[in-house]
Amino acid sequence: MIGTLWRRLRDRLRRDQLTDELGEELRFHETLLARDRRAEGMDPEEAAWAARRQLGNRTAITEETRSLWSLRWLDDAAQDVRLAARSLRHTPVFTAVAVLTLALGVGANSAMFSVIRGALLRPLPFRDPGSLLLLSYQQRSMAPWGFPAMLDRHFDEVRRGARSFEAIATFATRLATLTRAGDPARLDVVGVSPEFFSVLGVRPGLGRLFDSTEVQGAGAPVAILSDALWRLRFGADSAVLGHTATLDGTPFTIVGVMPARFAFPPDAQLWVPADMRLNPNLIMMRPVMGRLRSGVTEAQALAEFEAVSRRFELVPDEHRENMTARLYPLDSFLVGTARRSLLMLAGAVAFVLLIACANVANLLLMRGAARRQDVAIRAALGAGRGRLVRQLLTESTVLFLAGAAVGVPLAFAGMRGLLALAPAGTIPRTQDIRMDAGVLFFTFGVALITGLTFGLAPALAVTGQGSTASPGHGARTTVSRSRLRAGLVVAEVALALMLLTGAGLMLRSFQRLRAIDLGFHPEHVMSVTVDLPNTKYRDAAAMQDFHDRTLAALGRVPATAAAGAVNWRPLGEAQIEGTFTVEGQAPPEFWVSKPAVSPDYFRAMGIGLLRGRPFSEQDDARAPGVAIVSRSVAQRLWPGADPLGRRISMEDHPQASDWLTVIGVVEDVRQERLTQGPVSAIYQPYRQVGGTYSLSHMSFVARTDAAPRAYATAMRAALRDIDPDLPAQALAPLEELVAVQRLAPLFQARLLAAFSLLALVLAAVGIYGLLAYTVVERTHEIGIRMALGAATGRVVRLILARTLLLAAIGVVLGAGGALAVTRVLSTFLFDTSPTDPVTLCTVSALLLLVALVAGLVPARRATRVDPVLALREG
Amino acid sequence: MTLPSARRDLLPGTLDMLVLKSLTVSPMHGYGIAQHLQRLSQDVLQVEEGSLYPSLHRMCQRGWIAAEWRRTPNNQRARYYTITSAGRKQLGTQETGFADLMAAIARVMKPA
Repeated sequence: MIGTLWRRLRDRLRRDQLTDELGEELRFHETLLARDRRAEGMDPEEAAWAARRQLGNRTAITEETRSLWSLRWLDDAAQDVRLAARSLRHTPVFTAVAVLTLALGVGANSAMFSVIRGALLRPLPFRDPGSLLLLSYQQRSMAPWGFPAMLDRHFDEVRRGARSFEAIATFATRLATLTRAGDPARLDVVGVSPEFFSVLGVRPGLGRLFDSTEVQGAGAPVAILSDALWRLRFGADSAVLGHTATLDGTPFTIVGVMPARFAFPPDAQLWVPADMRLNPNLIMMRPVMGRLRSGVTEAQALAEFEAVSRRFELVPDEHRENMTARLYPLDSFLVGTARRSLLMLAGAVAFVLLIACANVANLLLMRGAARRQDVAIRAALGAGRGRLVRQLLTESTVLFLAGAAVGVPLAFAGMRGLLALAPAGTIPRTQDIRMDAGVLFFTFGVALITGLTFGLAPALAVTGQGSTASPGHGARTTVSRSRLRAGLVVAEVALALMLLTGAGLMLRSFQRLRAIDLGFHPEHVMSVTVDLPNTKYRDAAAMQDFHDRTLAALGRVPATAAAGAVNWRPLGEAQIEGTFTVEGQAPPEFWVSKPAVSPDYFRAMGIGLLRGRPFSEQDDARAPGVAIVSRSVAQRLWPGADPLGRRISMEDHPQASDWLTVIGVVEDVRQERLTQGPVSAIYQPYRQVGGTYSLSHMSFVARTDAAPRAYATAMRAALRDIDPDLPAQALAPLEELVAVQRLAPLFQARLLAAFSLLALVLAAVGIYGLLAYTVVERTHEIGIRMALGAATGRVVRLILARTLLLAAIGVVLGAGGALAVTRVLSTFLFDTSPTDPVTLCTVSALLLLVALVAGLVPARRATRVDPVLALREG
Repeated sequence: MTLPSARRDLLPGTLDMLVLKSLTVSPMHGYGIAQHLQRLSQDVLQVEEGSLYPSLHRMCQRGWIAAEWRRTPNNQRARYYTITSAGRKQLGTQETGFADLMAAIARVMKPA
């Protein structure tokens, strides 16, 4: 059936050729018939006549056959399209406005769709991605999407016990320093269990995977490079195989390079064999993924996983009823929380399209009204209503498709812009995002559907009874049409208000985010972070020595006002946290952050010292232990009393030498995330801290008035002088580093603001268009009023009153809608209620103002109506 | 020589079946098919030869036969038609239906 239709379509396209061929066929037939007759003895002329008769009516045959090569509906449609195109060309302004409006609406949606398609919808670029699952065994209280992970020893049990999976693998990313391959660099290195690559079903582009001894962590250290790293650091040279470089001071051999499209986990630059950590005291978890055996359902696999998990040996203090085994699709690992944000933006951009469509529907209505005469005449001449509706629908569809065509380049630019502007983490799977046939299909599909939907009402209204009945006036339908137009404008205002409210809330939330008191002053502070590999810095003394020398070097830089060091800098998204003991008190019920700092740290960071003294150069390893507590620690431990001189310890069962005397109180700071409250902290001088764990990761901060770039060069040089193998990480003004956490909200707020601005402009154009048209339509009435002595002010008020009425109805409806819808924003908002009345009032006022301005021009035009002319025309 | 009045009217759809059947012998052009039908039916089945062509092109479109321009043995250009596997299937269906119809007619005409 489809084949026949397809062949028919193909035949239609080459109908002229086929007709020629049929002619040749018939001539050939006739020639042979004539030859037969001549063979029977007829003279040539008679034979020709006889042949022609025997063949039959050639015209009829040709006609009948040609009808096989025709598609009536297609031909009719083609004719309609030609007519539509011609009629659209006759009204270039209307066409341009409508096409541009639609191009913006459709283009924005296509850009968003291309991102969503790549980030959320496209199957992962692995063999049979649907059977790849993440396995998680952790506390039930973790949110449904927390961080799916398992302990290595549980992973090991599932690997040995579960039959539902072809193979399961675990992997974990850590940062490591790459040296002997250009400048030292910190890279995302992924430790993988033996089955990692086979679970994903990927092969290296160059070289090989790990062999059976290497994957066990036995044998010489080896690594596989990402394509990006291979290009960046090894010049895409295939001789790289067998080459050695070092990771955190340990040499390794490169055995393979993965293909460019392979990015799993997304930031991976090197893959190395992971060692299994089966020690029962370790509570570190890693993600685990598995490939379902074919024919096994996810439910069966989960049942088996749960059964196996009941045999797991738990971490002390953990209760089995608090633990839960779960399976997740693998792509959730890549997408994480970005899904919500992308869907929210997609929803917003769909609103923009709806407004654009409403605008164009309104334009079509006005255009239809202007052609009422034309339509009525055609109806009077016998064109059926169906035919007229079809003609008008074709016109609107052509208009929408043209909008889509213009929207495609906009969408392309939009997609590129989104990818370029999105801060890291807000758009996952960027390598899978591209403009392709699917996106084009979406673009034109949306145009087709919206074209038919939003074209239908105007088409029906224009061809409605009143207009077909008499070519003169159709008062009744004018009323219903004007209601429809007003309804569309009200809907536009309502939708625009909802979008504006969303954007307003996001901006307000962003403002609050910016206004957070950090507890320190990042302005004029430069920061750099280093990680000391324990292969080179074997003990605390070596690390402390490095820190001393670095601080001294920074101190020698003339522009340095104060230089300090801290092991985990505030808002670096990490901290060392733990229990502590207070002399003479029961064990405290809260944990504290435990920064190890240099004496000048507080001054360099601008952290206020509330009481006592800061650390000094004398508080070193030989001196008695001292500590500085943050404000909240002092308040909770010694409310109303003097904390100075009190003794605390970081140990649970302190020896005499473990006690630290509190010598000062400083302000609380935000430590991990901006949106988390200030943390309670107990500071120690790094020279009094023994564990390399607390000393290997160190940030140096310097307060300076020098230009950031110049100072960065000085910092880099100072570090290189001390250890040329250490990569300088996150070398930037502290303000910028802190701002990183505001990038995602800023991106969302800006995008939403851009969308709602577009919506506002479209709605304003809609209001303007409607009123301008109303003035034209009511010229007669206005003329009468003016002839009867109405002042121009009264006429202006008449028009503006109508504007405000429409806008007010839209605002009320939109406010209701916003209250219902902005709830989806609550996860994106910081310290801002999704029903924040101030925001709602502000955007409502803004919208009314814009409506008023949009109504002013038509209102002024109304005052210039010449009563005499108006009446004569009427 | 056949006059229209002497033509045996064909049952609807029968022409397709006859053409398909002819093409099972070998690929033929339109004239050949007409000749073939006349010869086998001993001139009882006289089609108005032009009416073959709409039928041929309809069957082309349905995918029952395929057409191709070739040279005749006399080196003239002619369009040859070949039956396709879909066409053979269709012919099978039609033959069964036709046999059933003939049997039914026979039963009516010669009641036992």
